[in-house]
Parts: sequence; structure tokens; C-alpha cells
Amino acid sequence: MFRFAILLLALVLTGCATTAPTPEPRELSLAATPGAVLQETVDLLMEEGYVIRHGDVELGRVEAALARWPGYRVRAEVTPEGDAARISMTATRGGRPLPPHLLDRLLAALQTRLGLAP
Amino acid sequence: MRSWWWMPCLLVLAGCQTAPTALPSAEPRPAAECRWEGDGLASEEWVRRALTALEQEGFVIRHTETALGLVNAERTRTVPGYGDFYDRERVGVFGGYGVGGGRGGLATGVMIGFGGGSGGIRRDATRLERVSLVADGDWVRVTRDIQVIDWQGDIREARSASDTDFCLSLRNAMATTDSRGGV
Repeated sequence: MFRFAILLLALVLTGCATTAPTPEPRELSLAATPGAVLQETVDLLMEEGYVIRHGDVELGRVEAALARWPGYRVRAEVTPEGDAARISMTATRGGRPLPPHLLDRLLAALQTRLGLAP
Repeated sequence: MRSWWWMPCLLVLAGCQTAPTALPSAEPRPAAECRWEGDGLASEEWVRRALTALEQEGFVIRHTETALGLVNAERTRTVPGYGDFYDRERVGVFGGYGVGGGRGGLATGVMIGFGGGSGGIRRDATRLERVSLVADGDWVRVTRDIQVIDWQGDIREARSASDTDFCLSLRNAMATTDSRGGV
């Protein structure tokens, strides 16, 4: 009976854990070219100690990982927006999305690197 | 069997894990030696040198993007018997007895045996080392991390390893490397 209760509890909790919502991005418009924004994003993530897993200028995409349990991942997408660029960042922890406000520090650092800090 | 009780505790705790309050940076931070000035070399030349140097060190190149001056490579190594330390307490005892009768006699027998947990099966883990290098024209930056993945595919260790030794040896290898593949 006790084992059955444990099994039930495990199933209930597993059910909670499998709901994986799509990460909500944090977006920012920057008065710089998309290429410059992407390069500075890569440099910033390298300074933070992330390993860049993928980067493509034509796709305007960068993906970086941090090996700390349970595994962090940051993805940035840069799209042209008129004369400027728009960056959209998401982060996950162990495959689960992190709240978008956690990316504010990175975005602020990116603005500083581009000389666009308010 | 005696450690069954932590399973529900673990599941409960996994259920209530909270999000961190900040996006983490690598700890320790990349060493100062993992960043150096490009010495006027084009970023494409640094990328070529990095490819040669990393491949000589046994890395497999996973991805490059010359427009960013980016190289991503990884190297795996087997860690023999990594799980044995945890399995050693699983020692079992088995035994049996028998009685046999024949014509004009009776024979009895008892046997007993001890067995270790690993049972002769080697449970090797894999050490995965991932490196990225970015040469943006002014600076060359290197980051590295190391993960140990056990025979069941679970990550046992994960840490950033952008340390002085690795970066210095890579930098020296790149300085003495001809980008056409010679040394």
C-alpha cells in the first residue's frame, strides 16, 4: 500500500515536471548593425565563460551553454529592424525556460559594449 | 534496498525547485590567459590556426563561422570504472544446501558465496570537453567546459574549465602552428 502511494506521488510529480512551456524572450532594439550586435553578443557570452555552441551571421543566431548543473543555455536571435537591430534572447536551465527578466543583466552589458548605454 | 526512502524525498524536492535569481556566469571566470590580443592577424587566420591546433590535440571540430571568427570543438575520453565507487557497497551473499541419498548412504552439502556489486561489468563514464574560440579581429577568446557522463547517460560532473594551463598550451600551439597544417 505504501509503495503504491509512493508510485502515485511520483507519477503526480512527474506530471508536473513534463509541462515545458516555450521560453519567453526578452527583446531589445539597438541602434547598431545586426552584425555588430551579434559579434558583441558572442564576445560578451565568451567573457561570461559560456561555450558558444553555434553561431551564424546570416541566420542572426547564437547559442551558448554553461556547464553548471543542471545545464544552462542562452540563445540570441538578431533581426534587422530598419537601420537598427532587434535582439531577442531566451535562457533555459536544465531544459526549462528561465524568467526573461534574468536576461536584463546581459542585455545591459551588451548596450554598454555597443556604446549605447543610457 | 535500504536507500529506497530518499527517492520520494528527491522527487518532492525536484518538484519544488525554484528558479535562480540571476543568470549565472562561469565559476571560476575564464583565466586572464584565455583572452589575448590578435597581434594584427586576421580573424580567419586565427580560425585556421585554431582548427589545426585543436585537431592536433584530439579535438573534433563541430562548428565554425568565419564571419564571427568562431570555432567550436569537442573531445571525448573514456573514464574507466567511474561508477565503481558508488556500487561497491552492493555486496551480496548467496548460498544453498543439498541433501542426497544413495543406496546405503546419505550425503549433505552446503555452499556459500560472496559477490561484489560491479560483477565484472565495467561501467565506464565519458568525459566530454567542449571548447569555443572566438577571434573578432582585435581579441582572441577561449572558453572550455568539462562534463563527465556516466554509463547511464546522466551528467555526473559539469564545470567550466577555462583555465590557465589549457589556454596557454592552446595559445602556444597556435603560435607555432602553420595554418596549412604543418608544425
